[in-house]
Amino acid sequence: MKNIISYLVLISVLFVINVNALDLELVAKDLNLSAGSKAAVQWKRVFKSERKMKRYKIDTLDDAIKISLEEYLINHAIDSDKPTVAGGF
Amino acid sequence: MYKYITMLFLATLLNATDSRNLIIEKLLKEVELLKTSVSELKKNQIIVQSKQKEDEQYVDELYDFAENTETRTLEDKLKFGVTFKTSIDNFSKEYTDGHKVTNNNMWSNKLMLNMNADVTSDMKIYTRLSMFKYWGSGTKHLYSNYDNMQGRVPSDSSLYIERAYLDWFFNKNSYIPMAITVGRQPSSDGPSHQFKDNTSRKATYSALLYDGSSDGIVFTFDISKIINNHNSFFRVGYAKGFEYSETSNDVGNAYIGASNNELQDTNVYGIFFDTTIPNVKQSLIQFSYSQINNIIANQLDSDFTKNKNVGNLNMYGAMVEVSNLSNSNIDLFLHYGYIKSNPNLNDYKNYGGLLNAVGDNSSKSGDAIWLGTRYSFGDKQKYKFGFEYNHGSKNWVSLTQGSYDVYNKLSTRGNAYETYMMYVINRYANLRLGYIQIDYDYSNSGWFIGESKSTNNMTEIDELKKLKSIYFKLNVNY
Repeated sequence: MKNIISYLVLISVLFVINVNALDLELVAKDLNLSAGSKAAVQWKRVFKSERKMKRYKIDTLDDAIKISLEEYLINHAIDSDKPTVAGGF
Repeated sequence: MYKYITMLFLATLLNATDSRNLIIEKLLKEVELLKTSVSELKKNQIIVQSKQKEDEQYVDELYDFAENTETRTLEDKLKFGVTFKTSIDNFSKEYTDGHKVTNNNMWSNKLMLNMNADVTSDMKIYTRLSMFKYWGSGTKHLYSNYDNMQGRVPSDSSLYIERAYLDWFFNKNSYIPMAITVGRQPSSDGPSHQFKDNTSRKATYSALLYDGSSDGIVFTFDISKIINNHNSFFRVGYAKGFEYSETSNDVGNAYIGASNNELQDTNVYGIFFDTTIPNVKQSLIQFSYSQINNIIANQLDSDFTKNKNVGNLNMYGAMVEVSNLSNSNIDLFLHYGYIKSNPNLNDYKNYGGLLNAVGDNSSKSGDAIWLGTRYSFGDKQKYKFGFEYNHGSKNWVSLTQGSYDVYNKLSTRGNAYETYMMYVINRYANLRLGYIQIDYDYSNSGWFIGESKSTNNMTEIDELKKLKSIYFKLNVNY
């Protein structure tokens, strides 16, 4: 019982802390970008080209968000390390 | 009067003729202009058509190129991945009788070849071949013959099939998509070991409860839409822990040994619930219940007059982990496990029964906790500092015999501490310097058989009291 209460408290704390966290998945979705549509090296190429950033409307973002978004897209690129589980949807 | 009328008529006529001439002249000019425009248009049309033809040729060339690349990709039925680890371990062990054993400069290599095949969009096959050996040692480790430890303990340079399973998906677009996973399961190096390797989740189950190879079948139901929370799954699993097959009963060339009535197969049944903390994307919560029936005393002992089934075990688990909590570069995890035994009257030689001394068949319970954190810092978070702690009670035991580390620290009946510093070389490679200390409060850590006793006043020559290790690892996962 004590352990269950500890879990519930921890989960509640994590929930409260994360409510205001920047959701990069949503940022990407707003720009119609799907991380899995390109390999990491291709995403790097996008962020090195002003023309390509303009094409994907990435140039409208703040520099800090741009950096985070690049990291997110690279980390979730089609050739990135994927979780391995039974029945991995 | 007639004269005036004639003059007026002539004047009007002349005027009309002039106007007509002007109009004709204007029209002629416009016709000329039109002719020029049409001529230019024709010229432009020829240019456009020529350019269009060039473009079409270029598109055709690009299409051929894309199709050639696609053909090559479709030809590649297997996708390869590799994990490579080199480690230097320096450890010292202190036994309950006071004597110490040290072994420094112990190098090992671990190689894992991952091969995946997308048979169709609904059917995928995954395999992993593993080799784990100490440098300069070709001795096959006795434990590598245990089914769940093959490729998981340092042995010779043999490649073992650690994983070989098929994922078969059904009703992918329905309200409850489901999958069947059959074969040698992804049940090793599970959550939350991925933080130490700087990879993503590498197995289905909490590593506090399961770590090692296992053969079985798992039904996965994606219940995300039902509970309105992404990455929520319900799993029902069955695994074979031990298959008894009396090979002396083989008939001719049919290698299908018979069972007997004295020894039962070990069967494992489990239910698992995975979900995430609402609004916390990179998180995992898991609750599980497993039942291990007819535990065999010793898989490798073929003397079945002494080697027997010793009873059943119920195992409960709960875990939560979060990566990059609130973009703070902090990862956290907490696991809890609880077991309760249901022994029968059988003993294994003079070692005893399931978690019991000889002659004792009372039910025992135990629990364990494992928690840890990792903080990433520096340029592009290339430096990572991690700390882990686990505690197991007197009778704690679980299915971690094919453990992530060579110490099977999560089976500890006592306290274990691990701290490490990691340097991320690139997306795929990292270096890790770490220290592990294990204080064994009770004996027989990791063993199902025999009574666990306090190590405080013990003077056994082969019972560990303390273990310390400093290690340095190179880890590449590509």
